[in-house]
Amino acid sequence: MKNGTYMHISAEDMESYRDLARQFCKKSLQPLFEGEYSDGNLSLLPEKIETAFKIGLAASPEPSMPGNCYGIWGASVDEEGMKSSLHLLSIIAETCGGVAMSLHAQGVASNLVMQKGAEPVPVPVPVRVGLCLQEGFTPPYLGTILTPDRDVPARVMVTADKTANGYLINGHKSFVYSMHDVDTYVVFVRFGETWACFLVPSRSAGVSRNDAGVRTGLRACSLGHVDFRNVEVPRDARIDDGNALALMARALCMNWAGMAAIAVGIARGAAAAARIYAAQRYQGGAQIEEHPAVKALIAGSEASIGAAESVVLSLSDCNDFSLRTLGKAASVKLAATDLCARAVTDTLQTFGGYGYMEDFGMEKRLRDVTVLKSAAGSPLYLKQLIFDVEKEAAI
Amino acid sequence: MNSDAKNVLRERIELLHPKNAVKNMNLIGRMLADNREMSVWEHDTKTLPLGVRRWRRRALKFAREYIRPLAPEADLHPHDYDPKPILSAAARKGFQTLLFTPPIGSASTLPFLRGTTLQIAVVGEEFATECGGLALLLLAHNLGIVPLLLSGSIRTIIRHFFPFYIKSRILGRPDCMAFAITEPGAGSDVEETEGGAMANLVTTAKYMPAMGGYILHGQKCFISDGAKADKVTVYAKLEGEGIESWTCFLVEKGMKGFSVGRSERKMGQRASDASELIFDNVFVPKKNVVGKLRSGWANNRNVLNYSRPVVGAMALGHGRGAFERCLEFCRRTKLGPKKLIEYQEIQVELADMMISLWAARSMIWQSCRQFRCYQSASAAAKVTASDTAFKVCNQAMEIMGDHGYIHSNGVERAWRDSRLTQIYEGTNQINRLALFEHHMSSDFYIEES
Ligand SMILES: Cc1cc2nc3c(=O)[nH]c(=O)nc-3n(C[C@H](O)[C@H](O)[C@H](O)COP(=O)(O)OP(=O)(O)OC[C@H]3O[C@@H](n4cnc5c(N)ncnc54)[C@H](O)[C@@H]3O)c2cc1C
Repeated sequence: MKNGTYMHISAEDMESYRDLARQFCKKSLQPLFEGEYSDGNLSLLPEKIETAFKIGLAASPEPSMPGNCYGIWGASVDEEGMKSSLHLLSIIAETCGGVAMSLHAQGVASNLVMQKGAEPVPVPVPVRVGLCLQEGFTPPYLGTILTPDRDVPARVMVTADKTANGYLINGHKSFVYSMHDVDTYVVFVRFGETWACFLVPSRSAGVSRNDAGVRTGLRACSLGHVDFRNVEVPRDARIDDGNALALMARALCMNWAGMAAIAVGIARGAAAAARIYAAQRYQGGAQIEEHPAVKALIAGSEASIGAAESVVLSLSDCNDFSLRTLGKAASVKLAATDLCARAVTDTLQTFGGYGYMEDFGMEKRLRDVTVLKSAAGSPLYLKQLIFDVEKEAAI
Repeated sequence: MNSDAKNVLRERIELLHPKNAVKNMNLIGRMLADNREMSVWEHDTKTLPLGVRRWRRRALKFAREYIRPLAPEADLHPHDYDPKPILSAAARKGFQTLLFTPPIGSASTLPFLRGTTLQIAVVGEEFATECGGLALLLLAHNLGIVPLLLSGSIRTIIRHFFPFYIKSRILGRPDCMAFAITEPGAGSDVEETEGGAMANLVTTAKYMPAMGGYILHGQKCFISDGAKADKVTVYAKLEGEGIESWTCFLVEKGMKGFSVGRSERKMGQRASDASELIFDNVFVPKKNVVGKLRSGWANNRNVLNYSRPVVGAMALGHGRGAFERCLEFCRRTKLGPKKLIEYQEIQVELADMMISLWAARSMIWQSCRQFRCYQSASAAAKVTASDTAFKVCNQAMEIMGDHGYIHSNGVERAWRDSRLTQIYEGTNQINRLALFEHHMSSDFYIEES
């Protein structure tokens, strides 16, 4: 699928998408949180994800799957822009940021596979895919994106070498967000002086995954590090057309936009919960919503969330996932996750000590949104990248 | 630039470095310029009175030897570690008896007379640098003791402090204390004057002259160390009266009708419990009344004045812990051929974090540098330090990118720990109101219209 003219998604279609996501949250996700743990009963997660595939929320490169076209980051984004994916992610994140992140990671990786163009995707077509992009603690800086073989500031260490029948992949990818049990990895590597991108079945010889271990938040989404040791892949496992730079830009744009949308959803959930709590809790001779200090916390948060949402939705109609959009997507992630993290910590404050306990789910929201801020491009990294991208564009 | 030019430039930079450039000054000029290369920790320690310096050094050593190795597991599995050894070690070294001077306490005498809480504050920072939960485990105990001190009763002080000192310092079997004011229906209300007047309190004490004491009935919640404590200072209104009758009672483990309810599952500071305490017609003998009858409200408000700078110091420790672990990460992690710490954007951020921590420390020490702690300075120190700590922890996580939120790196733990300091001992909103209240007839006076 190539970029082309796009049409606006109709208001009706958009509403039915949103409704689908709301129903999924109510019927499938809410029961996860009926137990005692704020992260939910994660053992029930696989069946919920299965439902997301069945009802077409989860995208997949497999054409027969319901979400192939209209799921989150499904093929239709090239026609219709990011709007529906951003909305769906936001709505799901109101209930659980981790599940939203799972569907998002699946969507981004699927979308890359669907870019293979005329040549068919290798058989069997992957269903659950995970994106291996990052090495170390941060995604590549612009210098590395443009020249992966040079230390500007750090060259890419995961490499592919040509063999008689295909390629040999070596190296270590870190912080791979995905659904549980992915069958295929989409792996960015350095090939000579450029980028290449491969589909690597997760059970191939030489591929091993380590779980990232205990972490702050987004625990419903799986996170691991993947090692590739002399992994042989056939020629048709390569999904770029000679240079995967465009795919890299696409992955980063979608990733950042989606994470920003998830942050907005988490913060919306927090603000809604705070409104309800503030109307019920009685202190200082009144419902706490009557105290100006509490009003200020909630209203300030809602204003921040509104601002973050506007920033995220400024990407709604965008179907350009090239380097041209990279700076904008990075700015969106930078601004939205920061605004939303502030909003969540302020809304948590309205709960007093109860906000710190697992019972009300506020501490989970704060953990989740804080991870979004640092994951796959921290504010420090994004600021450098945004400056460099703008400078590069000017040149 | 070729390598010769590079070398020339490097030499020039070296010459311009303040420590070398100063050599061009004359003797008096050199004496007036301070270019000693010393860590901020050392600089700060040298500004402290001698006795406090000693406690700071001891606390640093103790924190690294005892708290650091236990911290990750105690945070992950708070129910599976045994707190007794660390409580005992801290007691033997005198950390649990810093609220008084010899012969019934271990605080250094002269500095104690100039600042009752300074020694606990410096110790609190060191402990919390390694682990918020274990620091709270060790320090919440002081919170339980302050009401005894503030009772102003020499009899109470001697009766409780003396055996406690012997058990702690000499036998290494300390009693653990807790402080209980919060009730499910009254959190901020027991920390703030106007709220207090309207508080919905259930814990009540009924006088039973025939029994020679009081029957305590009610419930407290969120009590730090509540499940571990041997003794708890509990505040209750007298039957038929309001909060103005609040009286502090010393309730001991094993008293009939006294039990521990649920222990909360919290976001951080997990190595210490926050528990519900249930008083089901507990008989408390008269001798366990702390201070005068009906002095509980004043006692409570002053306990908060004494404890808030220490909470601030603990917050500062959380921020410092995150900072130190992040700094270590920047020293050992490479981005391309260079170490992270060699990048300017990282240097600017690290320096900013250190400035914030330094400012918070100055504020805390300033608030502790008088014999009596007072409401506005204590509230200001707590608010500044807790907001600073949370900010610094966030910065540390951001510098470390995806490593920042991984538990084994220890920074996210500090981040979770620090968030609590903006809530307990009065939310930061309530603390701001406390500062305002204190100066209503001075700085914030309102002219009658
Ligand atoms: C882990 C933990 C440990 C604790 N340890 C102890 C302990 O050892 N002993 C103890 O007694 N207590 C302890 N507490 C209780 C703690 O001090 C209270 O949680 C805190 O004072 C806030 O009270 P609350 O939780 O009831 O919040 P609430 O009072 O319900 O506050 C909710 C929100 O309303 C705001 N608010 C309330 N009243 C007013 C007002 N009048 N004006 C403006 N805004 C207002 C608050 O700022 C807050 O934002 C602990 C709490 C926690 C979470």
